[in-house]
Amino acid sequence: MRQFRAILKKDIVMELRTKEMLTSMGLYAVLVLVVYEIALSQAGSSFDILRIAAGLLWLAIIFTSLLGLNRSLVHEKDQGCLDALLLAPVDRPVIFFGKAIGNLIFLSVVEVIVLPLFYFFFLAGKPLGGPLWMLPLPLIVGSIGIAGVGTLLATMSVNTTGKDLILPVLFIPVMFPLLYASVAATSAVLIGDAGYVQVFWQAVTLGAGYDAIMILAAYGLYEFIIGA
Amino acid sequence: MTDTQATDLALEVRDLSRTFGARKALDGVSFELPRGAFLSIFGPNGAGKTTMLKVLSTLTSPAKGTAKVMGLDVVADAVELRERIGFISHNPLLYPDLTAEENLQFFAELYCLDEPEKRIKELLQAVELDHRRLDAVRTFSRGMTQRLSIARSLLHKPDVIFLDEPYSGLDPHAMDILDSLIAQVRDQHTFVMISHDLQKGLELCSHALILAKGKVVLFEEKEDIDPDVFADTYRRTVGMGVS
Repeated sequence: MRQFRAILKKDIVMELRTKEMLTSMGLYAVLVLVVYEIALSQAGSSFDILRIAAGLLWLAIIFTSLLGLNRSLVHEKDQGCLDALLLAPVDRPVIFFGKAIGNLIFLSVVEVIVLPLFYFFFLAGKPLGGPLWMLPLPLIVGSIGIAGVGTLLATMSVNTTGKDLILPVLFIPVMFPLLYASVAATSAVLIGDAGYVQVFWQAVTLGAGYDAIMILAAYGLYEFIIGA
Repeated sequence: MTDTQATDLALEVRDLSRTFGARKALDGVSFELPRGAFLSIFGPNGAGKTTMLKVLSTLTSPAKGTAKVMGLDVVADAVELRERIGFISHNPLLYPDLTAEENLQFFAELYCLDEPEKRIKELLQAVELDHRRLDAVRTFSRGMTQRLSIARSLLHKPDVIFLDEPYSGLDPHAMDILDSLIAQVRDQHTFVMISHDLQKGLELCSHALILAKGKVVLFEEKEDIDPDVFADTYRRTVGMGVS
């Protein structure tokens, strides 16, 4: 626990000092929203944005998270600090959880900034189908999976040449089930079609199951992957 | 070999091999080093020196053979072994955005040290960086960073210290400081150092090893070394190139 806290605290202190990840992720997310706004500006008044809003939101989250995930391991690698971490008597899963929770915190901070912006850009004045309190659940489940699986894949790609390309190529196909579940759950709340509660819980359960399986796999594989 | 002999050894390397694709970085390396010794490892670029240090320090696993450091197997006892080794590289292995003190605090937590503040203060004084303890490492000169790197590697009082070209990139003054720091702790640790500087390596060592193409070309105690023969062997191995 002491080692886990140390890794997490170090990542948070460094990020608060440099603001590299939060600035790049936040700016990127806002730019994506601006591009969406431009792309949808000519869609006309009959176009129902609620039907695609969840997809747009999750696309923004997925692409934004890629930026942060890449940076989280690259700054360890740059100064050989990853070796220093590996030389310490720390169980590898502790490193995994330290980095993953750090990534989850940074992603959550960005989501807290981006979500209100997304609402004002695209959803303001539109009647939501379901209650607002249901919205955070798919976001939490999705973000946990992104941070967990993303940390594992970022560790795999950090030692490769062309890591900026390798991470998305690995990440997006692996994330597909979670992305599908998160979009389905979020859409269910936003649109509120008949039976949306059942669809919502099915999707959230699918996402949570994916998180459990993938994080367990990451826990088991991390020693092998980080030492490779 | 008896158990008593085994405990007297800092390193026991048996038929150690490591491959990267088709290339053999280490090819059947065997040697023993007593505790308290200072081993200098020489060889051309690509000879397998850094790979050997990485295997001995548990950063990478051997493909074949065994290696024990202080009687602990580098694969089976890796976590326990990491508590007993320190590593100084030409890379500082420090976080540039953290202060000197924060870096040492972080590593003290990773090594679960008791009373880390006392040890950190002691080490910062030893490496003459206590006046810069609150400054970010990125503002340090190369020599200062290397001194802090030494403090990091000594935090947990390791038995064996691995040095991967520690003098690389240092100016003469910083080299003198590093010399005196090593001299201060020389009696308390076993050292294994990779060096391209024949004179410096031989000056510090009690044992010398020349590695080429992943194989041991020469391994001798310092008192048995004829400097001319050694220098000639070294020159020939440098000409052998990489494995």
